[in-house]
Amino acid sequence: MNTQEEVGEFTQIFNALMSLMRKFIFKVLCAGPIPNHVSFIMDGNRRFAKKHNLTGLDAGHRAGFISVTYVLQYCKEIGIPYVTLYAFGVDNFKRQPEEVECVMDLMLEKVEYTINQAVSGNLKGVRVFFVGDLTSLNERLRVAAQRLMEVTEENKDLMVVVCVAYSTSHEIVHAVRESCVRKCDGTGDDPVVLQVSDVEECMYTSVVPDPDLVIRTGGGDRLSNFMTWQTSRSLLHSTATLWPELGLWHLVWAILKFQRMQDYLEKKKKLD
Amino acid sequence: MDLNQSMRLLSSWIAQIGVLGLDLLWRFIHLVVSLCYIVSGIIEAVESYAISLGLNKKYSSINIEKLRCLAVVVDIEEARDVSKVIELLQWLRTIGVKQVGLFDSQGLLKKSKDLILGTVPGSVLSEEIGEKDSSPDQNPLALEFISSSDNKEAVMKAANILLQDHLKSSRPENDKGENFFTETHLNEALRVVGENVHAPDLLLVYGPIRSHLGFPAWRLRYTEIVHMGSLNYMRYGSLLKAIHKFTGVHQNYGT
Repeated sequence: MNTQEEVGEFTQIFNALMSLMRKFIFKVLCAGPIPNHVSFIMDGNRRFAKKHNLTGLDAGHRAGFISVTYVLQYCKEIGIPYVTLYAFGVDNFKRQPEEVECVMDLMLEKVEYTINQAVSGNLKGVRVFFVGDLTSLNERLRVAAQRLMEVTEENKDLMVVVCVAYSTSHEIVHAVRESCVRKCDGTGDDPVVLQVSDVEECMYTSVVPDPDLVIRTGGGDRLSNFMTWQTSRSLLHSTATLWPELGLWHLVWAILKFQRMQDYLEKKKKLD
Repeated sequence: MDLNQSMRLLSSWIAQIGVLGLDLLWRFIHLVVSLCYIVSGIIEAVESYAISLGLNKKYSSINIEKLRCLAVVVDIEEARDVSKVIELLQWLRTIGVKQVGLFDSQGLLKKSKDLILGTVPGSVLSEEIGEKDSSPDQNPLALEFISSSDNKEAVMKAANILLQDHLKSSRPENDKGENFFTETHLNEALRVVGENVHAPDLLLVYGPIRSHLGFPAWRLRYTEIVHMGSLNYMRYGSLLKAIHKFTGVHQNYGT
């Protein structure tokens, strides 16, 4: 057996051991309550690229995508049913046009890659949803996103909601508009009055329950216009780690924090 | 008992022992986590006292002008002790904060508004700022009292105003309301129902967890949210540190 084969075999054994260790850690974690819905504010891609002297406008975001695949795998193994990713905010369109175009192209590339994975049966129970003002995306990306949603429609193990062209303020305005138009188009003699439920039905993120845990990377202490309506009873966890550097232990730590506060969170939900 | 039954019983026992073992390990990990929190709490307390005593020169001057509006979220159980809230407001006034929004989900602080305004020197309702002779103090502390009714309910009131206006207007068929329901219109409608639409720069959360507990969503976009721990154990040094840290933050607001 030559050196390359030995290294290959060693890598396989090492990966298998790591996978076993990870499954054991998750088994222990699952002895306690697991959040039903975890949201991620994926901040720090550009700083990661700068820190590691990576060239290319999308270099940091490419590294960020790798992190997405690992985090989703961990969430699926833990058994978290809903994950939301804040991929691109409405305010991010104000960035340099070249950067925005680069990010959109990268998103298209990754969506098309994911479609191929889904068609090949490699997505294993992951359903993908794109939410936000999708009309502000270019047509190719919009069509690809729609295709990915269709191809993964039957999957039920993990729902991944990708927020693109999203912000809470935009979402609220959109939901108010939609619900008002529906009320105006409605028939009958009932008084035309909007309720909270009418508006919440029309929100982009109505496909998922409210998050239990919001994890923000990159050290920021703010929500950056992300799900501020839905996070009244969410534990907000912030880490200085940049998104591409987020690893298993960061996720485990956040879930341990959630488990410590679970009684309080449940009490708050019952009060509502 | 035959072999199959024995095997099943044995598997069941092994599974139960396994579950018990995992549970014990989980509890042990949480014990270690709790110890970590206790140690970090002690370190924070010591640091806070050092800051209060002026031993850390870094916090001796704060660019308070950068903090135009501060909001304080208080957990409902802790909001019952108004004396602590009053003490906090006095500290904030000493630091030089000019505008504070006080939030608790059930409006307990709103009900204690008169007591708070009567006890905290130089405090006035933020709506009254700008009225002539409303306060003899040169540097009043403007207070705003906020509760959950200023969150979703307020947005619904504003939305219903827009809806009624839209119904009364002559609108084309298949109108999707894109020119009628905009952020500007919703902002204006919120002002009409008496809501403040300005976003606080910094939100201090006093309670068991870091959560905004239902603070008006419309105002929270880029607000820095800092968890301060329990109001019962609040420390002046920690408050100074949080405000100082905020003044050093640079936001790019998504750009």
